[in-house]
Amino acid sequence: MQIGRDELAAILAVASKRGSDYADIFIEEAHTAQVFCEQNRIERVTAGIDAGAGIRVIVGETTAYAYTNDLSLKGLKEAAEVAAAAARGQAARPSINLCRRQSSFELPIMTRPETVAVTDKVQVVEKANQAARKADPKVRQVTVSYRDIAQKVVIANSAGGWVEDERIRTNLSVIVIAMEDDRIQTGYESLGGIIGFELFEQNDPAEMAIKAARRAVRMLGARPAPAGRMPVVIAGEAGGTMVHEACGHGLEADLVQKGISVYAGKLGQEVASPLISVVDDATLPGKFGSFRFDDEGTEGQRTVLIENGVLVGYLYDYLTSRKGKVASTGNGRRESYQHKPIPRMTNTFILPGKDDPQAIIRETDRGLLVTRMGGGQVNTANGDFVFEVSDGYLISGGEIGEPVRGATLTGNGPKALALVDRVGGDLGFAIGLCGKDGQGAPVSDAQPTIRIPELVVGGIMEEDEA
Amino acid sequence: MTMKMQKLAQSILKLADTARRDLEVYTVRHKSLQVEVSDGEVETLREAQATGVGVRVIDGGRLGLAFTTRLDEGSLRDTIRLATDNAQSATPDEYNTLPSPKPVKDMDLLDPAMAQIPVDTKIQLARDVEKAARAYDPRVTKVRQAAYGDAVYEVGISNSRGLSVGYEGAYCSTSLLVVAEAEGQAEVGWSYDLSRSFDKLDPTKVGREAAAKAVEMLGAGTLTTCRVPILLAPDVAADFLDVLGPALTAEAVQKGKSLFAGKLGERVGSTQLNVMDSGLLPQGLATAPVDDEGVPSQDTMLLDQGILQTYLYNSYSAARDGVESTGNGVRASFRGALSSGPRNIHIQPGNRSQSELLGEISRGLLVTNVMGMHTANPISGEFSVGASGLWIEGGKPIRPVRGVAIAGNLIDFLKHIVAVGSDLRFFGSVGSPSLLVEGITISGE
Repeated sequence: MQIGRDELAAILAVASKRGSDYADIFIEEAHTAQVFCEQNRIERVTAGIDAGAGIRVIVGETTAYAYTNDLSLKGLKEAAEVAAAAARGQAARPSINLCRRQSSFELPIMTRPETVAVTDKVQVVEKANQAARKADPKVRQVTVSYRDIAQKVVIANSAGGWVEDERIRTNLSVIVIAMEDDRIQTGYESLGGIIGFELFEQNDPAEMAIKAARRAVRMLGARPAPAGRMPVVIAGEAGGTMVHEACGHGLEADLVQKGISVYAGKLGQEVASPLISVVDDATLPGKFGSFRFDDEGTEGQRTVLIENGVLVGYLYDYLTSRKGKVASTGNGRRESYQHKPIPRMTNTFILPGKDDPQAIIRETDRGLLVTRMGGGQVNTANGDFVFEVSDGYLISGGEIGEPVRGATLTGNGPKALALVDRVGGDLGFAIGLCGKDGQGAPVSDAQPTIRIPELVVGGIMEEDEA
Repeated sequence: MTMKMQKLAQSILKLADTARRDLEVYTVRHKSLQVEVSDGEVETLREAQATGVGVRVIDGGRLGLAFTTRLDEGSLRDTIRLATDNAQSATPDEYNTLPSPKPVKDMDLLDPAMAQIPVDTKIQLARDVEKAARAYDPRVTKVRQAAYGDAVYEVGISNSRGLSVGYEGAYCSTSLLVVAEAEGQAEVGWSYDLSRSFDKLDPTKVGREAAAKAVEMLGAGTLTTCRVPILLAPDVAADFLDVLGPALTAEAVQKGKSLFAGKLGERVGSTQLNVMDSGLLPQGLATAPVDDEGVPSQDTMLLDQGILQTYLYNSYSAARDGVESTGNGVRASFRGALSSGPRNIHIQPGNRSQSELLGEISRGLLVTNVMGMHTANPISGEFSVGASGLWIEGGKPIRPVRGVAIAGNLIDFLKHIVAVGSDLRFFGSVGSPSLLVEGITISGE
């Protein structure tokens, strides 16, 4: 991408020529490499380039957006014309004086994935595949997927902001299928971050694959989860889907400003147990949701959302920050140049507390222990959420009992968080791809071991109960 | 007539050395418009045009893929080289194959009027949707983006076996999400419509339906855990079918990832259940003359009165089973691998309306919304999803219910369908009528 200061200013001038309150350009060049293994063989190897630019013009409450794959100056000016025409601005034309910003923190990458031979990537995948297959004779199929992406971005706006940045993400996921009689179960594990190929020096792909294989096999012997309301202990190692759904989405300023959030208008109020503090932090080195600059060129930051149970902040992008008359929290993210930025989470977590995680289980007479959460969803308007339990056990008399399968937990965000009565001193992250308005964003979530005295477990009634 | 994308695919194929290896070029261009309206004002207007190229190389049974959005000759040559190099790292598989050319029917999927309709008319449609929702009931307080969108697309596929096809199409859609509020409670309702012609979108119907869904949920309470008959609304039933789709592909069966493995000719569902996949369905979103590797589209009966008839094949899985492809080679985009999946998959309608089915329920739940459907496991068949809807007594809705969950196994679920409604409706490329199901646990208090 050979687009310098003068070209960027010229494009923004075209975008603003009919008047605008704000205009920006997001130019992206994303290089991807993937290795996919199934049926005990490398099924395919993929690589590619996706390059394009999105131009946004804001006039009053209206956003016009145009994108193109044509990154010539002519192509970019044409897209800017389309956006300018769509915006129908009658505002003043801003004078544009771009000033390049540098990041105040680094997210170091040790081994850039494009410097790694395809055969080395294949080797990581094969290592995981073989480990999972050797883990147990009941393993019938193993799917291993490796992906790295190097996304170069140039972002400039009519307020003078201009950044050039690169985000390198590497990740590996394993799905193991185990079979016994005609029962099939699956185990899933993934790892990844804003990190290079050193990911696999810090994490052993074989270890992760074995974990997935053992889970699939264990679930073959698990009984269906019970149905109904009960105490739930969510272990630190379980990931952070619950906090992501129960409060994260409801704290995104676009939903709050539209009144489609149960947390709207509750700043300064108690919205969770005093034991609960929630933070979103884009600055953590190596985490999947981290970045130096968001997709509007605002620097990534740590934002406290809930402090000792009191709501203290929301997640803002440029547009919502302007409307809310606050500063952006650097949470304006987009899937690609094809999408306009919206407020999104980065790495979101409940801060560790003081309890001993083991003691929390020991002091729970009966209930469900969740050691791995899968996907989830929330209705932000009323706060109802669900999340999948991909590894769970019954707790009986403070002891971890039988494994259970196939459960989803259902609750209400503010109600569930208000009930939390124990918070452990541990913290465990898991990665995910969060979907909102048709856009995917890499995120990570975490929480310490916590206990919620009552959540609805979506399980199966025993025959004699029915 | 040879179209631009077909010509582009042909010209890229010519850049490659196909004497020693098989090669396929997939090209797609789309032009789209999206409008979001809030309180009558345009909130977002997005216009775009994008072109992508995907290259698939099969070299001695080894599969390599590459893609690009750059159309200059140097970049296209690089992409071909990248796909060729990538193939060297893959394991050979004798069944990797490209389809040979077959006669292809012409199809009219492009409403020429779509491109002529002024943007203002399209904006007005989104405004009308919002207005209809607000007019439905004063308790409808908020509207999140009443939206209108359309896309005109063109696809080209050329391969070294002499196959060369192209087609174009267009569709438009409208959707909205509304919030109704009363006594401190907020409930959402959602609706959507999609069509291949602008005239067929009905903004009033979409707006009223979303509003009705939100309003009917006001005052929702919970339930105690029970096992009663449940009636799934068409959109919820379609969500379930969508999860089952991948398990019906031969690819999943061959890889040991399907619940339907080894069950051809067996009863896998209720006798009420007829499931059809169609690449030819008039007006269908996934309708096209060919699939994503150029194999002619067809209709495929999957379940006939509950009996499994066949699986869905692409060229790879067909070669492996020694049968013909059913035209179910699909790719998520030009960036993705060619996989297999349903086209317009749907449950065929029965002859009783939803209200007739409701009338038969003495105590049960009409499920109008589920949450977390993406967590259902198409491999094990297990599902557990959040649910909301209306509690039914004596054949009539009595009160709204939320915060419960329904769980079970999809195989049991298919067998426990006791009645199929006449109200078939498509949501994207997946369609279902209302389904009455017994034996499912509802988890609540």
